[in-house]
Amino acid sequence: MSKYRVTLRPALDGKQPIQRNGVSLEARPEGTLLHLLAPPSTNELPCFSEYAANLSLRPVSPGQWFAVGDTALPHADLQALASSLKSEADIVDQSHGRIRILVRGPMAMRVLAKGTAVDLAIFPVGHSATTLIGHITAHVTRIDEDAFELIVLRGFAESLWDELVQMSLEFS
Amino acid sequence: MTPYRLSSGGLVDRSKPLSFSFDGKEMQGFEGDSLASALLANGRLLVGRSFKYHRRRGILTAGAAEPNALMTIGEGGRTEPNTRATVQELYQGLTAQSQNRWPSLDVDVGALNSLLSPFLGAGFYYKTFMWPAALWEKLYEPFIRRAAGLGRATYEADPDGYEKSWAHCDLLVVGAGATGLAAALAAGRAGARVIVADEQSQAGGGLLSETATIDGKAAHAFAAETLAELAALPNVTLLPRTTVFGWYDGNVFGAVERVQKHVGIPAAHLPVERLWRIVAKEALLATGAEERPLVFGGNDVPGVMMAGAMRTYLNRYGVAPGRQVAIFTTNDTGYALAADLEAAGIPAAVIIDSRSRPAPSGYNGRTRIISDAVVSDASGGKALSGITVRTRNGSETIKVDALAMSGGFNPVINLACHRGGKPQWSDEKATFLAPSGLKGLSLAGAAAGIDGLAACLEDGAAKGTALAESLGYGSTQPSFGAVTGEIAPAPAKPLWTIKGVRGKAFIDYQNDVHRKDLGLAVQEGYGHVELAKRYTTNGMATDQGKLSNVNAIALLAEARGVSPAEVGTTTFRPFYTPVSFGALTGTSHGHHFQPVRKSPLHNWAKKNGAVFVETGLWYRSSWFPRAGETGWRESVDREVKNARKNAGLCDVSMLGKIEITGADAAEFLNRVYSNAFLKLPVGKARYGLMLREDGHIYDDGTTSRLAEDRYFMTTTTAYAAGVMNHLEFCAQALWPDLDVRLASVTDQWAQMAIVGPKARAILERIVDADLSNEAFPFLGAAEISLFDGAVHGRLFRISFSGELAYELAVPAGYGESVADAIMEAGREDGIQPYGVEALAVLRIEKGHVTHNEINGTVVPGDLGFGRMVSSAKPDFIGKHMLAREGLNAPERPQLVGVVPLDPAKSFKTGSHILAKDAAATLENDQGYVTSSCYSPHIHSTIGLALVRRGSSRHGEEVMIWNGLRDEFTPGRLCDPVFFDPANEKLHV
Repeated sequence: MSKYRVTLRPALDGKQPIQRNGVSLEARPEGTLLHLLAPPSTNELPCFSEYAANLSLRPVSPGQWFAVGDTALPHADLQALASSLKSEADIVDQSHGRIRILVRGPMAMRVLAKGTAVDLAIFPVGHSATTLIGHITAHVTRIDEDAFELIVLRGFAESLWDELVQMSLEFS
Repeated sequence: MTPYRLSSGGLVDRSKPLSFSFDGKEMQGFEGDSLASALLANGRLLVGRSFKYHRRRGILTAGAAEPNALMTIGEGGRTEPNTRATVQELYQGLTAQSQNRWPSLDVDVGALNSLLSPFLGAGFYYKTFMWPAALWEKLYEPFIRRAAGLGRATYEADPDGYEKSWAHCDLLVVGAGATGLAAALAAGRAGARVIVADEQSQAGGGLLSETATIDGKAAHAFAAETLAELAALPNVTLLPRTTVFGWYDGNVFGAVERVQKHVGIPAAHLPVERLWRIVAKEALLATGAEERPLVFGGNDVPGVMMAGAMRTYLNRYGVAPGRQVAIFTTNDTGYALAADLEAAGIPAAVIIDSRSRPAPSGYNGRTRIISDAVVSDASGGKALSGITVRTRNGSETIKVDALAMSGGFNPVINLACHRGGKPQWSDEKATFLAPSGLKGLSLAGAAAGIDGLAACLEDGAAKGTALAESLGYGSTQPSFGAVTGEIAPAPAKPLWTIKGVRGKAFIDYQNDVHRKDLGLAVQEGYGHVELAKRYTTNGMATDQGKLSNVNAIALLAEARGVSPAEVGTTTFRPFYTPVSFGALTGTSHGHHFQPVRKSPLHNWAKKNGAVFVETGLWYRSSWFPRAGETGWRESVDREVKNARKNAGLCDVSMLGKIEITGADAAEFLNRVYSNAFLKLPVGKARYGLMLREDGHIYDDGTTSRLAEDRYFMTTTTAYAAGVMNHLEFCAQALWPDLDVRLASVTDQWAQMAIVGPKARAILERIVDADLSNEAFPFLGAAEISLFDGAVHGRLFRISFSGELAYELAVPAGYGESVADAIMEAGREDGIQPYGVEALAVLRIEKGHVTHNEINGTVVPGDLGFGRMVSSAKPDFIGKHMLAREGLNAPERPQLVGVVPLDPAKSFKTGSHILAKDAAATLENDQGYVTSSCYSPHIHSTIGLALVRRGSSRHGEEVMIWNGLRDEFTPGRLCDPVFFDPANEKLHV
């Protein structure tokens, strides 16, 4: 056993959920976020749910998805999943590189409209888009009627959080 | 009650008085007042001084076109100059100051300009201040700017917030008057997503000033009812106090919402202004029409007002315009005003109608009518005292204290012309109409040249219904019942030149352009509409000629003897009305000015005392000062020496990192790099050079093969995104047949350079793998575990410093903890953190290049990388252009080292290289210093330079010339590798 103790430091360490009138902000746990890379013509990954039932898929681009989950996947499990999926897609682990922020509530769209040009009102549940929130690139998924998940590069996570706090100020 | 406030009538709330001040004088108004209506109610006619002649000016309009009543509102950081009193809502405690006067509005020294007016005509700047030229900047311009002008901005910080937002809709209705409301109701009822933007404090437009009834209801009540229905529709968004200022590509409209410009102390959680970008499938301009002034002498004396504005002050605000009112009109609206005045108990003294026709059938008043007549002059000082009326039979002077004028109407078509369309002259309407065939934008009501309330309601409803249907929403056109008691404006008889004028007849009030100025412009060869605008300044400044342009064009046409259609208009551009810098800035100031990108080792660096430097959006640790060190150089020297003697740890997480997978990944890399990559073995890293198509170096970095079909590429920090885009383009557009997949993993990994002779010993304490030189030699690359399997990372034996060095990548969340562990593991070996300054010294000592040298103009051979251009590969990006003669010319600048002859002397990056005895001229320039630093190992300043034929001139004495500081340092060119030229340290 190594004498060194290593610990995880979340990118949004210390950021408490923000609850405003009609909208809340919450940093999602830094669990698992896998970048699945298949040939661009691939429309679906039929085997994926068989091997990773606890992960949800977010479309990224033709042939690419993010698979997200709230708990971390042990290294050995990731290796096993990668080899099981090899015929369908390559996996690149982005669990530490991308941070998820949840914006929820009837005013979520109003808040996000201050940053993104995507028309969220006609954005179906389950759909995703990579867009700018202000000056920061983020991947947006409508995960529920009134809930949007933002996936952002770790280095920008704190800045995006600060922006969202400002953008939602109207509803305080 | 204030002297001109009527005891009843209007939409102001007389139970809610508001105090405000104008030029320090306390006054009273009511809730619902504009600042202008409150000033008029207080009998304040003189409200400003004109731009050039400092003439006394009163309130002319009741809306956005106001050229005269510009005021400075607020105090301290909230000071806002050039606010139109006609748009500003009154609030409790509002403070307003008049502008462009000294010492006071009533007594203004600048009014002496009026006496000089014969010399201050159009173009006087160009004629008068020609000589001596040197005085222009020092004397003339500052003086002119001081004498002529608008309000002054404050130097204090604005305490309020601003923001931006996007909005999307099927139909954007601009303007919530009768037309706009009817259209919005039609489309809203049909189910379309509708946004209604209206610039006024209260939506309703002309309905709020109208005394006609709709289906038996007062017009303002109809507006309120319709707005209530619209507000209740979930698919309709109302944006009051919102001016749509521009039409842009993609049918995007810019609009600014005055969220809190009508309150004294804005709430902190709300912005004061919000900038909207509205994406509309269709837009309908229901922007109405602007009433045209008439160009007679003294048409700027306080008390002269647009007829429509007078009607608004009377009917909407309950303010009497005067005791003796004259109306000068070219159309029937003058009669509607006369009827309203009579109904309010202020019988108009006289109607002067330029036409020769009886009063309109809807008018039953008793006012004296002089037809086929004009007002040639108005007279008065601080207030109007009389007018001269001319008929065919002579002239007559009539005492009045208020004069309404109506020269016809110009549809407000500005937005429709923002994307290149030119306004079209209509002889029938005697004005310009919007260009036809616009895509995504149509016009309705008065904005489309339609006259009268009933017709506007009908047109709005019809067009709203048709647009909804075209967008897929079936609809029934709403009907609104009969309009009763209306006197519509038509028919108008245009009246451009009024005969017998004696005084100054103003066309552009804000710029003090009068009739003679336009004549002068034509006479002096500036008759083209664009030239006339610049020569006379007509149509410039904050109102952009809303009142003046059509009159100016018609008068130019008369002077040139052509039709207004031939004169045409100047170019319409955003913004329709001025937009504050605050609104355009939004939240992007202070802490939110730009995003901050933080390394996963940011907190580690911070607790180790790093001084940070902004590198793009990244915050990089620059150096790590220690107690007792007196300056950055001392810290950097220590960090550099320690890295070469013991060990150093540097955060290199910012380097771009790209994972490349797929069956054809090797072939892909072989094509994007100039050197060979096809046969790079698994477990090995290689330095790669990426060229542009034109053969010049684009970026460099190492790429490691982690598995047969998996590579890990690093790029420079600055080009991380650019290289990713480049690779995506190559994969998607150039070689879609290759199976290659790309993922940016820059943020996934905390990456640390562990550098120095003791690096291996330190890493062996935390890395589980065998790190001996045999097991993991130079350029080794492996996926490894640390801390007995607790963390999985990647280790690369690569070196930017020339030392035995590793780069360790661990998942970002572990970065801080792993860096702590390395520091702990290396404490007894003397490990120290080092920053990018020390990193730069280490690499310059070693002759390694960065984008200082890869400056966009160099090819591999220039940097001594000729051997990295594969001659065996059939193709790679840049291969063919690299063969061009010029890229192989012997005279090209080449990488070379440079040192001062006297080690005590120094030189700066950017200094130029001259031959030893050459004069310091551009012709003698032989190249420049691309990087330099003090080397604690060479004990002098050292530099890298790109110098003509540099590689064959080692040992030559040169002069290093800093032209900015006029410094000359004798130096010598040398090998660019200053330290360990045999690379022995890399392989230990």
